[in-house]
Amino acid sequence: MSVQREQLEADVLIVGAGPAGLACALHLANLIKKHNESGGKPALSTENIYVLEKGREIGAHQLSGAIMNPRALAELVPDFEKSAPLDTPVTDDAAFFFTKNSAYRFPITPPPFKNRGNYVVSLSKLVKWLGGLVEKSGVNLFTQFGGAQLIYEGEGIAGVITEDKGVDKNGKPKDNYTPGYELRAKVTVLAEGPRGSLTKDLVARKELDNINPQTYGIGIKELWDVQPGRIQPGFVAHTLGWPVDFSTYGGGWIYALRDNRLSIGLVIALEYQNPQFDPHEAFQKYKTHPFLKRILDGGKLVRYGAKTIPYGGWYAMPRTYVDGGLIIGDSASFLDSQRLKGIHMAMKSGMLAAETIFEGLLAGDTSSKTLAAFPKKVEQSWIKKELWSVRNFHQSFQHGFLGGMFHAGLQFISGGRGLIDPMRSHPGYKAYHKINGAPAPERFKGDGKLTFDRLTDVYHSGTRHEEDQPCHLVVADLNVCSTKCVTEYGNPCQYFCPAAVYEMAAEKGELRLKINASNCVHCKTCDIADPYQIINWVVPEGGGGPNYEGM
Amino acid sequence: MKILVVTEQRQAKWNKASFETLAAAQQIAAETKGTLAAAVIGKGVAALADELAGKKLDEVLLVEHDLLDAYTADGFTQALAQVITSAKPDLVLFPHTYQVRDFAPQLAASLNRGMIGDCVGYRCENGRLVFVRQMFQGKTAADVTFQGAAPWFASFQSGAFRADLVAPHASGKASVSKPSVDLKPEQIRTRPLELFREAKQAVDLTQAPIIVAIGRGIKAPENIPLAEKLAKAIGGEIAASRPICDEGWLPMDRQIGSSGQTVAPKLYLALGISGAIQHVVGMKGSRTVVAVNKDQNAPIFEIADYAIVGDIFEIMPALTEQLEKAKSS
Repeated sequence: MSVQREQLEADVLIVGAGPAGLACALHLANLIKKHNESGGKPALSTENIYVLEKGREIGAHQLSGAIMNPRALAELVPDFEKSAPLDTPVTDDAAFFFTKNSAYRFPITPPPFKNRGNYVVSLSKLVKWLGGLVEKSGVNLFTQFGGAQLIYEGEGIAGVITEDKGVDKNGKPKDNYTPGYELRAKVTVLAEGPRGSLTKDLVARKELDNINPQTYGIGIKELWDVQPGRIQPGFVAHTLGWPVDFSTYGGGWIYALRDNRLSIGLVIALEYQNPQFDPHEAFQKYKTHPFLKRILDGGKLVRYGAKTIPYGGWYAMPRTYVDGGLIIGDSASFLDSQRLKGIHMAMKSGMLAAETIFEGLLAGDTSSKTLAAFPKKVEQSWIKKELWSVRNFHQSFQHGFLGGMFHAGLQFISGGRGLIDPMRSHPGYKAYHKINGAPAPERFKGDGKLTFDRLTDVYHSGTRHEEDQPCHLVVADLNVCSTKCVTEYGNPCQYFCPAAVYEMAAEKGELRLKINASNCVHCKTCDIADPYQIINWVVPEGGGGPNYEGM
Repeated sequence: MKILVVTEQRQAKWNKASFETLAAAQQIAAETKGTLAAAVIGKGVAALADELAGKKLDEVLLVEHDLLDAYTADGFTQALAQVITSAKPDLVLFPHTYQVRDFAPQLAASLNRGMIGDCVGYRCENGRLVFVRQMFQGKTAADVTFQGAAPWFASFQSGAFRADLVAPHASGKASVSKPSVDLKPEQIRTRPLELFREAKQAVDLTQAPIIVAIGRGIKAPENIPLAEKLAKAIGGEIAASRPICDEGWLPMDRQIGSSGQTVAPKLYLALGISGAIQHVVGMKGSRTVVAVNKDQNAPIFEIADYAIVGDIFEIMPALTEQLEKAKSS
């Protein structure tokens, strides 16, 4: 059946209303306003900027620790301190090394963990606020619409087709069937966050990869209301060590917000060796450490979520421009892999993209010739400086913690160069060892007070999807799951998914993969960490997904 | 501008949206100083045509034929194509009903014309009609105009105009004419059957005083009749937790929990349900909860008033038997 799609045309179409996409929209709107006010020709309109967001509302899919370096925000909204929802400035920062029962505080907080001058924020709240400013500027924001396919034309892209609505499980139209819109734009900006589904397709099709593949971590977070007096607002701590072993790269965080609210989480690089390792379980155990238990006891879980983080850095940044298209934010690796900070860089990349687009619209040329100015602007900005100094950082840790510390130390004193530059990396899923008949580990249950099983946590993510729709986790060959993967890797999807989406169900003596797609929190871990790379995450019906209010 | 409104009736009863579209057409006719005709299609609908003639319009077209008695897309398309070809309207308006959705695009296409469907309004701009339709689930409105020659086809969304604003005829009645249409049975490829109304949802779980809910413990769809038997014996409705409905073993309207129904019956019998929070939020208001589960640590027992640690396949038939015995004695 050929589908008749409604068409809309825009100057600029931004996919994803996160810090990168919204900063791009707002900065471009500001440039256009100034241009029009000074009588510039041709006159441009902010109404011709469209932003698509798959979440129920702006901010619904935003999750981060989060400590924000305000550098980019200060450039974008100079008086941001007056109205931005900044929870609290960082008042004290500390780094700890955990063993199972003890916590050793580093006598001096190592430079990457220094955070004075930064703010502890709820990224969801911050982005919601930013969305308000964007809306006021006249830009069209469409929530509950995801970019399902790119429109490829010539050497580049010409827009996006949004997801079809009202399609049932078997792909048949329901009463409320609405085909996706065909949105055409002079410039399409991919700001989808880590492992964007359109970005993935574009990078593969146009071979935009850099010398290193992108590597990722998964961050698992809970928001707690703790008993008064347990922790001072503005205190931030990072931990290394237990429950993360030396062969795995990862660490924890505890950020104290106002009103006895606490952000706690664990980040694990998705390049661990044991395919039956369970990051969610590791995080649950993390909370039982005496240091954390003391803070959390008597408190209450408020919200849960998980999201991937691009670790690859400078050498994993894909080519960020094609004819009619740009890639920004986490989708393009704009994240400091040493400090694990990306909000400021995502915003800055959006602003630089906005400047590039503005010039292209005025010149009437949005081909790659003009858009190639974007990476040049990045080169000349502080983004390059920050990313360059840690360009080899994460790669050092792909072969273990101790070697990593050694390399990282040398890099620190040599401005990022270290012993090998550029240091190469491999995709994380290649690190898995085979299970060699190891039995399936017993699943973690939780005590229901301090620790929780996965389903209970998923409930607290507020995730919801229309149940009667095609599965948005497209597995290319389910046979692999029930045969090869069972013996080789023991179906790691059951363990790495932080939302209990994947389940091996025993049926007539055989294991069969059951996909509980409506539990999905849109973290993209499966698309990244599947050992056979046969899981493809595509956008579900718009409005589905977690509700990260306050995260 | 010459305007034709195509009204809709079924078994000589109006579809009220017809008058909303008529109200819109009267406005457009006034603004464009045009003429307005309205068509009634069917068989034995002269009374409706007469009623329509009492409204403010220039002419009523009574399109009758034996083959138009029951609605078919082919019949309506061909009859209207003939009417339009001879009456030569510039603009043909429809209410955006299910029936219109079915045949109007075909009609427009058969005359080599496009159609603007589901409009919520219009504007006259320098003699040109601009139609307004919603996009992005009503978040934005698009202006759409016709290119090319008349006739133009458009339909209006139900509720976009007010039927009570239809103006009566100024001086009595408009004339009713009966254009002839030529239809042959072989031109109609579909054969309408008896009209039926879809049976209403057989079950409203929120109103059921007793619910027998099954979970993963039921293991296979072949085992569901065991639970259904128990439900029948106890006079309750069958329901399930998400995995059962997800597998398609029971319809989705039987699902209890955060992505299904929320219920608070007098008695909730949870069979083989572990009690994940997603399920519990949908039934925790139940007055009495009886849970049967093999795993004594199942969280469902935390909210159960009566807990039976055991195999549902032993307990379901035993309970059914006892209930039936009690009933017959």
